[in-house]
Amino acid sequence: MAPGAPADVAPASGEQPGRRRRGRALGGSPGEALAAYSFLAPNLVLLGLFVLLPLVWALWLSTQQTDGFGAATAVGLDNYARLFSDGQFWRSVVNTTLFTALVTPVAMGLGLGAAVLLNGALPGRGVIRSALILPMAVSGVATALIGVLVFDENSGVLDGIIRALGLPSVPWQSGGAAAFASVVLVTLWWRLGFNMLIYLAALQGVGPHLYEAATLDGASAWQRFRYVTVPMVGPATFFLLVMNVIYSFQVFDIVFVMTGGGPQDATSVLVTYAYENGFVTRDQGYAAAIGVVLLVLTLAFTAVQWRTNRTRDLTE
Amino acid sequence: MDLSRRQLLGAAGALALPAALAGCGGFSTSGGSSGGASGGGDALTFTTWGTDAELAGLRSAVSRFEESSGATVSLNVVPYEQMFSNIDAQIQAGNPPDVFRVPYYTFGSYAGAGQLLDLSSYLGSDVADRFTDQAWAAVQNEGSPFGVPHHTDTSAILFNRPMLEAAGITDVPTRLEDAWSWDDLAQVATTLRAALPDDQYPFAYNWQGNGVTRWLSWLFQADGRFLTEDLSGPAIDSDAGRAAVEFTQSFFSQGWVPPNDTISSSTYAQDTWYSQTVPLVWSGAFSIPDAEATLDFEWGATFAPQRVRGGSDFGGNALVATAGTANPELAAALLASVTEEESMREFCTGASLLPTRTDLVEQGIEFDVRPELAPVFLGQASTVRPQDSAQVASPDMAAIITVLQDQLEDAFVGGQDAATTVRSLSDGISDAVR
Repeated sequence: MAPGAPADVAPASGEQPGRRRRGRALGGSPGEALAAYSFLAPNLVLLGLFVLLPLVWALWLSTQQTDGFGAATAVGLDNYARLFSDGQFWRSVVNTTLFTALVTPVAMGLGLGAAVLLNGALPGRGVIRSALILPMAVSGVATALIGVLVFDENSGVLDGIIRALGLPSVPWQSGGAAAFASVVLVTLWWRLGFNMLIYLAALQGVGPHLYEAATLDGASAWQRFRYVTVPMVGPATFFLLVMNVIYSFQVFDIVFVMTGGGPQDATSVLVTYAYENGFVTRDQGYAAAIGVVLLVLTLAFTAVQWRTNRTRDLTE
Repeated sequence: MDLSRRQLLGAAGALALPAALAGCGGFSTSGGSSGGASGGGDALTFTTWGTDAELAGLRSAVSRFEESSGATVSLNVVPYEQMFSNIDAQIQAGNPPDVFRVPYYTFGSYAGAGQLLDLSSYLGSDVADRFTDQAWAAVQNEGSPFGVPHHTDTSAILFNRPMLEAAGITDVPTRLEDAWSWDDLAQVATTLRAALPDDQYPFAYNWQGNGVTRWLSWLFQADGRFLTEDLSGPAIDSDAGRAAVEFTQSFFSQGWVPPNDTISSSTYAQDTWYSQTVPLVWSGAFSIPDAEATLDFEWGATFAPQRVRGGSDFGGNALVATAGTANPELAAALLASVTEEESMREFCTGASLLPTRTDLVEQGIEFDVRPELAPVFLGQASTVRPQDSAQVASPDMAAIITVLQDQLEDAFVGGQDAATTVRSLSDGISDAVR
């Protein structure tokens, strides 16, 4: 239980049932354990087959030199050593990190804002909620194709509007910074609905009595948001932070379709670079090494978050 | 009762497992039988992608082969985007199709890796003789044929007549020998630049993505090479190389192409022409049916420019058999059959593509749509020399394509000068060549 949790509610709903469950599990019959494992087995097998096995395989592959055909040559840690002197790899690391640092807080902030607005009584609430959630149902490639239509420098909607307003058109495709911004904007549009949905669910679990108590204590609207809402949706924030970071580190389809990593690698990210090495130039060992670096980065970030985030277990 | 319920649930879990796994097994897009290599008998598997018109021509050629040979061919059609990840996965799993379709610039990476059937002992000499020299050169690896050239395509210039006339350009070349020189093209572009508003540009070039190999046409026009004759090293660090980079770089600095007509752009040159942002575009004949169906302005085609000589990209696709096929004779017979005169003519006329057979090139063919444009594209294709197409068949082409993309992008967008670009291209190609 996180420090700072309301003392009157936390033990009752958190610790005691947990202790009870543990007790029963320890005393359970072997048959019950067998039943539990048989329920878990399909997922465990799938996880092992499609996640753990490829993971170990990728680790092995990252120590090989191979074009994917015929026998591979073991090269030890050479692929990793090559990464250090590869400018395009470092450019991709910087781009991926910058993308994550931009998209994660903005998507979460906008998601929380939209959720708070749409949690109250609002005319047309259902329609607005659906409109924001809808992009979630669209595939990444389709989203990116819409992005191409919007951000095309010659015939795109956005530059059309900008020119109609008499402003200079923005080089969304031929300028590095603008191309990066276009990818970030499309990703935000795509991801806003997911963040809002999770926050909306979390807000449903915040009891109205907390707001009543805060109002009675003289808290302003901002104070109620800052000191009641934000801490109470802490577990959702933790979940979203981890998911957004993982999704951002893994970004591929939007970049691949919208900019292809260009212009001049300005939007090249780790996964597009790994794809280019693995499937275009067929340097599959090197591509696997990039994949392993990506895994280590994601794991490290999640571990740091896990240890430092204090509100992930906060409950009412 | 309690125990039997658990048994029941356990059994349900065990039953659910294979069902769940089967559900996850839906990766294959194969419609027919899988595993050509294990096919044996008189059956072949043939994996391809294609437009409706291409598939109609292929299906007809395949049925002709089935009738004459008594064999069955299961044609497995996949989207282009999945084609080669599918083929690679099948090869890695030891389960490739017997025959598949492959672009000439990808052919080398399969042939060089020993994944294709050496057809030397399976094809009669009459088969080799039926193709043009440049087409035959495009399917060679270390002196042996590893495929048949099924068709080619090359880039000529499509023009928007009203836009040209509005700028005072009424005369476009109608004969190959009258094709524009580089200087003529520069003159036309300068005239157009002066006449067009700021958000329109003289032309767009189709070098996006893997189309970067079409940049090589400028190098060939300047009579340059990018690989040595034995394909073992770079040959691009030359006056021709520098001239080609310098001239194409000027397209951007002079405002002759839209700024997003870059190598990595997600907007294809063709779309820029469709939207009337440019009056001229380099394009293959394959786009004629679509353009005819879509566009409501008057348009035509003329020849690509020349410098020291004519030069063009040897586009199109080969058909290859895999090294592990259980039926090498039958696979080779299929390759020979679909390149017979009747099959190739039907395929090319229907899909607006160019033949690789000498007899069809000499007789000429008529496209079903806009037949008067066929001579322009056939004439343009005749400027491809065997030494040009042989370089693109290099087994290291995949890595060379990446080098071309990176360095040309630096030259076009980053302003890297021609001498540095050519040196970097040379170094990159040197690393790429095994």
